[in-house]
Amino acid sequence: MIDVYRALFVGQIQAASQYRVQSVLWMLFSVIRPVIFLAAWVAVANAQGGRVASYDVRDFAAYYVALSLVSNLATSWNAYDFEFEVRMGRLSPKLLRPLHPIHYAVVENIVWKMTTIIPLLIVLGFVAVTFDARFRATPVHLVLFVPSVILGGSLAFLGGWVIATSAFWTTRVHAVSTLWDRAVFIFAGQIAPLALLPGALQTIALVLPFGYMLGVPAEILQGAVDVPTAMLLIAVQAIWVAIFYALLQVVWRVGVRQYTGVGA
Amino acid sequence: MRYLRLLALFFRTELQYELEYRTNLALEIVQIVVIITTSVGAVLILFNYTTVLNGWDLGAMLVLLGCFYLVQGFGELVLQPSFEKFMEHVRLGTLDFALLKPASAQFLVTLRNFQVVQLGQMGLGAVVAIVGLGRISTLGPGEAVAFAVALVCGFVLIYALLLALSTFAFWFVRIDNLMAIYWSFLDAGRFPVDIYPGWLRVTLSTAVPVGVAVTLPAQAISGRLDLFGLAVLVVGSIAAFILSSLFWRVGLRSYTGASA
Repeated sequence: MIDVYRALFVGQIQAASQYRVQSVLWMLFSVIRPVIFLAAWVAVANAQGGRVASYDVRDFAAYYVALSLVSNLATSWNAYDFEFEVRMGRLSPKLLRPLHPIHYAVVENIVWKMTTIIPLLIVLGFVAVTFDARFRATPVHLVLFVPSVILGGSLAFLGGWVIATSAFWTTRVHAVSTLWDRAVFIFAGQIAPLALLPGALQTIALVLPFGYMLGVPAEILQGAVDVPTAMLLIAVQAIWVAIFYALLQVVWRVGVRQYTGVGA
Repeated sequence: MRYLRLLALFFRTELQYELEYRTNLALEIVQIVVIITTSVGAVLILFNYTTVLNGWDLGAMLVLLGCFYLVQGFGELVLQPSFEKFMEHVRLGTLDFALLKPASAQFLVTLRNFQVVQLGQMGLGAVVAIVGLGRISTLGPGEAVAFAVALVCGFVLIYALLLALSTFAFWFVRIDNLMAIYWSFLDAGRFPVDIYPGWLRVTLSTAVPVGVAVTLPAQAISGRLDLFGLAVLVVGSIAAFILSSLFWRVGLRSYTGASA
């Protein structure tokens, strides 16, 4: 399996190096929306004398810089690719290979993140200076951030695959993935740090998996939660990853029987 | 007049095409509704903590969000599908067919394709704006006219910028990424342009005029845009249109059909 992954990595890195400019441009997607909402919250905080609940302007900056980093590391676009492959029948050759198609997606995602991380950090450094971000994270937070962002990314990836797999039944998953994306938009911490979501929405964000994809790792990196809480949140993330892993196994096994190439 | 008739014809054929896929159409409408309601939700969450955002109260913000979806809806209704097709024509060399027809090539290419369902986005945007207007007391005929003028100018600005950008396809052929970045910058229009820090505000007002295209109509209808500002907007939009058309014509000279 290690050899297989090494081969996949080499292939994907070669493929990615053909599209260097593209990867830099796409990286901007992870930055633009957090900066938009950062600017909005800074305006709200300024209207309220510089502070909203426990967040002041510099905390918002730190949160949204962290969130950009997390969204870049944790987001994947598989649902869209997968729908295309099912619709066009391109999945057929992949199904015949001895390797589950998900492994290609795993490697593709990791390589994409590696190629975008450096330009992203430069842009985020610029944003952090512009908005004068203040991180409260201790070294312990930084250590905890690593498993948290990996779990958040795994959760978003597995969730995206469960959604994408519904293409086996519907062929078009665009509408389903839009619903999913908008739930992420509201509940994962994009429009507001989880702590600032109004009561009911905050409960939903923390009961459903959404908050654990982006918001939780971002808050840990920012240092907004204390260490015991952070560890508890990471534990919940792990549980969600396990649930979605099991769910994907089931959905995939049932769904792949539904799949027919065109003309079958 | 002839051009209006052609436009109506293009619109009708594209509508017929979309009506062939009814389930898809219904799903697209569901998506539009979900996207706009969640965006309104986001604004409501912000206003849960404040009554005013850089001088914009909730009513004015809803008007702005409505304008945002009007402008974005217009972009996705006709500009995005047409310009995508245009770039494909350049790549495949099939632009010849448009150039040979006895009408303005720029018209035939840039206003040719429609995603009729995006009228839903514009309609829902209008609803959001009207709800917002309900919370603002002063609305005279002056404001209404200024709003209409400003909104049309916004459309023209977006058109001019897309035309200028897509002209680069004549030299570089594949510029999908440039366009993708443009559409993602458009997202910034959902908030008033004056909340952004200096460098970003300048970008959003000049290089990517989405800030202007959305913010100014919203200001016009809430009576916060004076006559001078409106005049500058009109002159600027006309200038942008003329300049980008000239640029397009320069680019067209570099066009070669396949194997030419």
